[in-house]
Amino acid sequence: MSFDVGLGQYYEGKSIIHKLDPRAKLFFVIMLMVSIFVARNVASFALLVAIVLLCVIISRVPLIVILKGLKPITVIVIFTAILNFFFTSGENLQPMFEPIVVIPNYWTITAYYEGLYNAGLLAVRIITLLIGTTLFFSYTTTPIELTDGIETALAPLKKIKVPVHEFAMMMTIALRFIPTLTDETMKIMNAQKSRGADFSNGSLIKRAKALIPIIIPLFVSSFRRADELATAMECRGYRGGVGRTRMKILRMRGRDYLFIILAICLLAGVILLNLYLNGVVYTL
Amino acid sequence: MAIIELKDVCFRYGKKTPYEIKALENVSLTIEENTITGLIGHTGSGKSTLVQMLNGILRPESGTVIVDGVKLWENPKKIGEVRFKVGMVMQYPEYQLFAETVREDIAYGPKNMGLSEEEINRRVERSVAFCGLDASILDKSPFDLSGGQKRRVALAGVMAMEPKILVLDEPAAGLDPKGRREILSGIKRYKEESGTCVIIVSHSMEDMAMYCDKVIVMSHASVLANGTCEEVFSNHQLLFDAGLDVPEITSIILALRKKGVEIPDNIYTVDGALSVLLPLLKEKGGRI
Repeated sequence: MSFDVGLGQYYEGKSIIHKLDPRAKLFFVIMLMVSIFVARNVASFALLVAIVLLCVIISRVPLIVILKGLKPITVIVIFTAILNFFFTSGENLQPMFEPIVVIPNYWTITAYYEGLYNAGLLAVRIITLLIGTTLFFSYTTTPIELTDGIETALAPLKKIKVPVHEFAMMMTIALRFIPTLTDETMKIMNAQKSRGADFSNGSLIKRAKALIPIIIPLFVSSFRRADELATAMECRGYRGGVGRTRMKILRMRGRDYLFIILAICLLAGVILLNLYLNGVVYTL
Repeated sequence: MAIIELKDVCFRYGKKTPYEIKALENVSLTIEENTITGLIGHTGSGKSTLVQMLNGILRPESGTVIVDGVKLWENPKKIGEVRFKVGMVMQYPEYQLFAETVREDIAYGPKNMGLSEEEINRRVERSVAFCGLDASILDKSPFDLSGGQKRRVALAGVMAMEPKILVLDEPAAGLDPKGRREILSGIKRYKEESGTCVIIVSHSMEDMAMYCDKVIVMSHASVLANGTCEEVFSNHQLLFDAGLDVPEITSIILALRKKGVEIPDNIYTVDGALSVLLPLLKEKGGRI
């Protein structure tokens, strides 16, 4: 039993966001990502954060669940924010305090208000991006819906012989087995711990060696499982994507189109804000 | 004397999430030295969680676990030490085999204990014999063995650590009747020769009745009954209420009693039933 997988877990619900067509969600998330990277000023970030929070509220996924899912990346966010803070420099910037000289002529620490601003924006950027993607891709969409959506969205590529169905199937299977593998890893780790394995002490090489008794059984059982799954699928008549019909056919409805329009408006809004406040459409 | 003592142990999975599950609730029990104790309960009753408390794989949220006089988790850094004292065979242990040869795999535990080469070899050969395996198997790859053989190799790997307490989670699950008997009687023989305290988790009432001295019944995260086989299995209603069954032979005896045959209701092994029914049959001339 593993209950600790926060990132990438479906949160059962019946909200509009849950019911949206996965293709519309896909489009929205792509637009959201582009908007986040295009955004240059506080106003656009306020807009983006507001939209994402609104979506969270509509989806009825408790904010606490989402924030818990963010736990693993807090270190990365803090680290990048700090780097940004200290490495922002320029000619006419206003320093926050007198430069601290650590090694004369080589290393002085200076910090500017702009650095603080940049670090803040970066943190907001990463967090909104993650909340946006996880909300739409994992909390409100089952992996099957998601891969179905990707498959139908990419269907035109079949014409140039891209094995879209096979890729989608592989993705479904891979996603399906993540929790199974986590579970299995935990079990094997506990079994080897019971035999006196020690994963947390000793030198790096010793610790790497201690992983062998986990990795080998994991590989063995993955191969076994793949074999069994392949046989089971063949027994039920699976033979690839050709001529395969679907039980659930994805259909775009009014609300899906509305959502797509909203996504386009969002990007347009961010670009307009850039134009008014910064005088540019897009800069890096 | 009690070798294991649990006091008010509580544990929850997925704490403070919508998926929270109570696995143990105020569990207190003692397990005696030099006995085979059976742990039974329906699926999800907390059996596996309970046994994982015993060697510090899981840490209780509250309450204490005392093993062989030592209070666990007083010094979390030293929790590894208890694992040499409490040998744990998990469910389907054959999936934990990893080494190139059976010998190396069985030697993994003893090696982690830091024993000498000779001592390790002695233990490997001894535990292989207990598990009913031939010594010729030692140089084979564990992945070439049959399922039942793999299970025994995994069991031997834990026995070779010669723990004071041996815990087995469903050791006979998925084996055929012969494999079941061989594994369980091997465990019983091991206990008799080494004086180890053995704890077996199982679903099978028959196995429990046949091999265990004491039985603990779990239901909905707490201990429902703890006593000798006789005490527990004679309390039929309790077992039914816990979603369990009495051993098959006991149901037959109960059915006979219902029909008016005068026999005691505390019979839970086939041998016990024979010793009561045969004289009765003789007395009544072949018909009851």
